[in-house]
Amino acid sequence: MEHAVTHASHGTTIFFTGVLILLIASLALEEKIHAKKSLIVGLFAAALLLLDGALGLLPFGPITLPNGHTLDMPVYIEAIDWGVIAIIIGSSIFVDVTSRSGLFTWIAIKLTKLSCGDPLKLLWYYGLMTVVFSAVLNNVTAMIIVGSLSAVSLKRLQREEQLLGFLLIEGLLTNIGGLLTLISSVPNIIIGTTAGISFVTFFLKASPYVVVATGATIWLGARLFNIKKLSDVDEIAAAKQHVAGFDENDGIESQGFFWFGAIMLAAFILVIATTSVLPVVSSLGMGYVALTFALIMLIRYKHEVEQFYKAVDWDLIGFFMALFVVIHMLEYAGVLDLIGQGITWIIGEDENRFGVGALLVSAAGFSSVTDNIPLAAMLGKILAAQGTAGDSSLWWSVIFGANLGGNLTPIGSASTLVAVTIIHKHKLKLSFGGFVAKALPFAAMHIVLATIYVLVFL
Amino acid sequence: MTQIDQFESVFRAAAHDAFEYEAIAFPRVLFVTDGNADQSKAFVRQTLDYATNLKNAEIELVHGEEFQTTDELLEKVTAHHPDLICTYRNLHSKAWKFRHSLGEHLDVLLQRTDAPVLVMPHPEAGFANLDALRETKTVMVMTGQLVNNHALVNHAISFVAPEGELYLTHIEDKAAFERYIEAISKIPSIDTDDARKHISHQLLEDPLNYITSCQEILKEKGLSLKVHPLVSFGHHLTEYRQAVESHAVNLLVMNTKDDEQLAMHGLAYPLAVELRQLPLLML
Repeated sequence: MEHAVTHASHGTTIFFTGVLILLIASLALEEKIHAKKSLIVGLFAAALLLLDGALGLLPFGPITLPNGHTLDMPVYIEAIDWGVIAIIIGSSIFVDVTSRSGLFTWIAIKLTKLSCGDPLKLLWYYGLMTVVFSAVLNNVTAMIIVGSLSAVSLKRLQREEQLLGFLLIEGLLTNIGGLLTLISSVPNIIIGTTAGISFVTFFLKASPYVVVATGATIWLGARLFNIKKLSDVDEIAAAKQHVAGFDENDGIESQGFFWFGAIMLAAFILVIATTSVLPVVSSLGMGYVALTFALIMLIRYKHEVEQFYKAVDWDLIGFFMALFVVIHMLEYAGVLDLIGQGITWIIGEDENRFGVGALLVSAAGFSSVTDNIPLAAMLGKILAAQGTAGDSSLWWSVIFGANLGGNLTPIGSASTLVAVTIIHKHKLKLSFGGFVAKALPFAAMHIVLATIYVLVFL
Repeated sequence: MTQIDQFESVFRAAAHDAFEYEAIAFPRVLFVTDGNADQSKAFVRQTLDYATNLKNAEIELVHGEEFQTTDELLEKVTAHHPDLICTYRNLHSKAWKFRHSLGEHLDVLLQRTDAPVLVMPHPEAGFANLDALRETKTVMVMTGQLVNNHALVNHAISFVAPEGELYLTHIEDKAAFERYIEAISKIPSIDTDDARKHISHQLLEDPLNYITSCQEILKEKGLSLKVHPLVSFGHHLTEYRQAVESHAVNLLVMNTKDDEQLAMHGLAYPLAVELRQLPLLML
């Protein structure tokens, strides 16, 4: 796409930076102002488009396509990264339809029965399941599945007092699992696609950290929340009997669809993993893969596809689209350059260890109080504009910082917010400060481990 | 956050309440009659011929000359500390001729003692030769809340004669259900047809799953009785009366105590009053 470059004055850039701060504050106070993200960012996008246009910062006019043809396209359309939007819509429909096969609940109940109701085994199994589901599905869906199962199974085992610990650990693990693959979280998709990191490279580089951080989190969680192995013979027998009442086949409507769902899930992961090396598919991108798999799964419900369209999180999609527009407008106003200079001041002109670590820690800090998606989108764009190499550790600083910062506060990520919602649904008391106090040892451990890992291994 | 509730519902539905078997024995059985000691022997003999599981029990008797008031009866029963009480309706009264009450002694006995009570037809009522009093070949459990009612089912099992049949019934009150659906039909955010379909299915599904677990566990334990489910919507009394008649039931087992009230359980009283020709085991 062709863009005319218009330089904004210093005063304009400062003014637009103030608008950005106002946007971040509004998103942080989303719950207080009772407005959805898509509306908040949408209003900012509309205002910024008008302002940029009025100040002559926007390059209006046709854009040139790869085949040389020109196309009249509004600036707010070309500003959006449709590849990211396609991945999110496609994978959320795919996951929603696949979950109807009963596959995820089957796995969840099988693991529950395998634990024989022992709390410590249950914590390990649910913890590992959270990480895998977060990696394969998305953090929010993983938290909903594992969190609701934890609530039901612990009540059945008459161990409701351990629910808070389970939910908190699972909430924190969603953000660890969200680091495992390129499609596990939106910051990964944004940074991965911007930096040109392939699915396989992403997995190989992130997985050692995920394994260590998962083990350390569950171990620490078991100690801090006093979740122990059962030793009394009667307690062991009673727990075994309680979980034996679970029927893993209860949620399966049809055996055929169950197996179809399992095969399609495996195929989805395989194709996504190899998208960059598959002829034609590599040009069409991961968004195409996600949408195509979603369409194939929808054949099963061909008469009622609209219910799956309704289930898509349109607030999230609207938020992304508006966010891309906002970032585009800020770029024209010189704000990204200004932030880029600030980042360069922190990390130095040349890549160095202090800079990589400082970027990770500051990204985590910002992401703990506001949404990690705008942070990732903005930092991604700034690093790309600075010509950062695809194999630079700075990309990983942003990925780790943006994902792990969410573990510091209950508003730091959507999945920890889901964990807190389940906690409150079950009348367990946990304030904002209470969450921070309980999560701090874990979040600090995650960030320290990540900093060491990025500095030493990446 | 409706998805949280959706998944919790899926997992709750997958968690089936299983029957827990426990062999019930009655080492000390106390017979309470309003006749004298000699007259009572026939009643004791007839009851032991009918309920063969009581053959080896230690038999004790409180006959009519030993008590007059309910206080005196309760004192005697407490002193014997029985595992089972066998008696009949309208002790020290001629009201057994009328289908309107159980009599003050039995009313109080059912609520004030922990031991289950086997209520036989009145000896003078002329039911002695009925098939129902020959053996406990067909036993029926009656309740509006079968799931997790292990004690009720286990007591019923203890009375089923070898190779006999056990009917586990669970009747959902149709009138109450319709009242809820009527209320739901006035709430715009709830689809009435959907609610009717899913609630009715779930209300019957839970007791059916429980009965299936009961069948599996009894088979596992090697017990020879056959367990049949009778789960449906209906009017309690009508459905139960029909079930008793159509399955030639020999013994009806039900709960009488209600944590919420001092009087007898709502369903048990009218059934006990009306089904006078049939032995009842009342917990």
